[in-house]
Amino acid sequence: MDLQKYLSLFVAEAGEHLAGYGRDLVQLEQAARDGGAVQGTIDSLFRHAHSVKGMAASMQLEGIGALAHKAEDLVDVFRKDPARLDGEAVDVLLAAGDALQAMVEAAASGAKPPADPALVARLVEAARRSRERCVQPAQPAKEPARAAADGAAEGAATGREPAKGAGGSGAAAAPAPPEPDPGTARRGAEAPQARTLRRVQLDVEIAASCPIPAVRAFLVVKKLAALGTVARSVPSVEELRAGRVPGKKLQVLLETSEPLRSVERALGQISDLAGVALGEAAPERPAAGPAPAAAAREARSAEPARTVRVKTELLDTFLDAVGELILATARIREVGRSLPAAQRPLLDEGVDRLGAIVKDLHDKVMAVRMTPLALVTEQLPRAARDIARKVNKQVEVEIHGAEIEIDRAILEELSDPLLHVLRNAIDHGVEAPHLRLLAGKPATGRVTLQARRERDRVIVEISDDGKGMDATRLRAAAVARGALTEEQAAALSEREALLLCCLPGVSTAEAVTDLSGRGVGMDAVKRAIEGLGGTLEIESARGAGSRFTFRLPLTVAVQPVLLVRVGEEVLGLPIAKVHGAAQVELSRLDRSRGGPVLPYGGDLVPVHDLTRLLGFAAAPAKDERAVVVAEADAGRIGLAVDALLGQQDAVLKALGSPLEDVPGLSAVTVLGNGRPVFILDVQRLVAA
Amino acid sequence: MPKRVLIVDDAIFMRNMIKDIFSGSGFEVVGEAANGLEAVEKYRELKPDLTTMDIVMPFKSGIEATREIVKQDARAVVVMCSALGQESLVMEAIEAGASDFIVKPFKSEDVLSVVKKVLGDA
Repeated sequence: MDLQKYLSLFVAEAGEHLAGYGRDLVQLEQAARDGGAVQGTIDSLFRHAHSVKGMAASMQLEGIGALAHKAEDLVDVFRKDPARLDGEAVDVLLAAGDALQAMVEAAASGAKPPADPALVARLVEAARRSRERCVQPAQPAKEPARAAADGAAEGAATGREPAKGAGGSGAAAAPAPPEPDPGTARRGAEAPQARTLRRVQLDVEIAASCPIPAVRAFLVVKKLAALGTVARSVPSVEELRAGRVPGKKLQVLLETSEPLRSVERALGQISDLAGVALGEAAPERPAAGPAPAAAAREARSAEPARTVRVKTELLDTFLDAVGELILATARIREVGRSLPAAQRPLLDEGVDRLGAIVKDLHDKVMAVRMTPLALVTEQLPRAARDIARKVNKQVEVEIHGAEIEIDRAILEELSDPLLHVLRNAIDHGVEAPHLRLLAGKPATGRVTLQARRERDRVIVEISDDGKGMDATRLRAAAVARGALTEEQAAALSEREALLLCCLPGVSTAEAVTDLSGRGVGMDAVKRAIEGLGGTLEIESARGAGSRFTFRLPLTVAVQPVLLVRVGEEVLGLPIAKVHGAAQVELSRLDRSRGGPVLPYGGDLVPVHDLTRLLGFAAAPAKDERAVVVAEADAGRIGLAVDALLGQQDAVLKALGSPLEDVPGLSAVTVLGNGRPVFILDVQRLVAA
Repeated sequence: MPKRVLIVDDAIFMRNMIKDIFSGSGFEVVGEAANGLEAVEKYRELKPDLTTMDIVMPFKSGIEATREIVKQDARAVVVMCSALGQESLVMEAIEAGASDFIVKPFKSEDVLSVVKKVLGDA
């Protein structure tokens, strides 16, 4: 079997199971602390580990299978007795989950990662320890051992709990499944009316290749029981249940009114039998057949949602195609304008209809791309736990609005910024437990993620109840780094000053811990959010905590842009970056600090000539120019352009090579007249 | 006429794999279900000759589903797909009425041999 073609599906599904696995563990730990119900979560955890094991085995990824198996074993201990769950066990299970995820990723690139023996040993040890921590006295066998004959014939119909965990765990077992219809086990026994009973002696040998011979033997006994009564079975059914079938040999004495060939036929349908010998013994007594089972219908509960799995690249292709359609429609509309007036209404009508259909199609495609925030937020409680452990703090994470949907492309870029803000909140915001108590707060800090939809934006707020940020210190740090003069720093509002933490190298953290040194600084967070067409706001109150607000567009594919003209060229600026515009005479601007500066909103904004920044041949420009005030990392800048052409919703397309290497360009769009327009990357433009 | 198969597994990955095994071997895969609830419903609708049933699934386990299917149709042929370490669950499934079982990881020829036997075709 060519397993390669299943690999990507395996990676995706195993990844989902492992995400669920991590989520369940964190929830379990929390529930253990708060005394919530855990059985459902443990069952779900078990299912996740189990699924990964089965899938890995099928992919012949033995390492993953082995590790998942050990994790499953450990979970199984808690499944039987949730009270044995402790922090240490959760730790090792989390470590196993991480290792499994890494192994699945390695498998994605064709590797066959082996299981880490140390980790396997830890899991085994934790399972052993947890079993031993058992405080309950060993439970007596659930039912007194019955005579084998009785057990074989009747056990088939009782549906009682099979003896699990034969290691004498003494755990409280899962509740027995509901009573089945007593007739089911004897289906096939076509009402043997008081006919002559045969006693059939059977000797069965299970094939050496059978991986679970005891189950195979069990199946043989059950199939025979369906034909009559199993008077004796060696090994007994109880032994088979416990997995014992010495020599892979089974002997059964069957009392049946069926002809011998029926018995032979029944055994012929069972696989993995190396040999069967049967002979008849003397008849004894008549038997009464059971009534055939009556079909029963049960009301079904909660219907699961039906979904289809689609490759995400396919969704991208759809969106691209719809983008092309929008552009093509605009192009037809534009061409139509040049037609004689008499012919235009018909074309216009058609184009309007086409436009409406394309718009509808676009909305639908966008809706398909919408993905709940949960996809990234669900990793946060686990991450918070790890971070808090590392810095010896106690933190609870609350997430609201994870069901809010946002474009998948945005979601994918959101993970790192969210994690970073969370890490900051715990590392720098939330105080150590004793300090919190001194400050009259609960020892456990709280980080809340709140998402909501506001018109065409999604607002994500991450707030903590920690010590808050110190704007004065941020001002000082920015001045010390030479990013601002003291006057500039002093002129900043509180909110603006807090945003200084997004300047590279500016931080109020007293000490840089290994958590904060991971290379993703607040500057990267701000850049990522703005790169998505969003904005970042920070609010903070000393002693009460901080709040980071991401305002994100629902989608990145269509963004409003401001069109400007520079010489003969038309260029676009993302509206999200544009603060405002002014009409000025360049020669009248103050140049006392070198370059010209524009007084704007109580601030002095350095003005750059876009013609020059882009390296266009400098035409003798008019002195009176439009200046667009835009946001760059280090503050606002002015961009002098020849004219403002207006705002438009643009379908942005990524630049291919080599254009993507040109500093200052971020994307391209096509206007209705077919003219391509570059979208500028303001930050890289001034940095270049 | 090719035998009609219903595949029940919560992993698409497993379903695809099993489907490929059957499709190339003269069986017709008439339906798939991702959990026990769907399995019972699909069984009622499709009345397949053979059902392959995963054991550990959300909403309703393969064991419960098998029990209900066999209750509905005493002739139902349900083959459990089990992993190593699930022996007691497989036995429970057999008590619930499963006709046979296969153990993951499986080879196509093993799967086909088990189902052909259980269907009385071999």
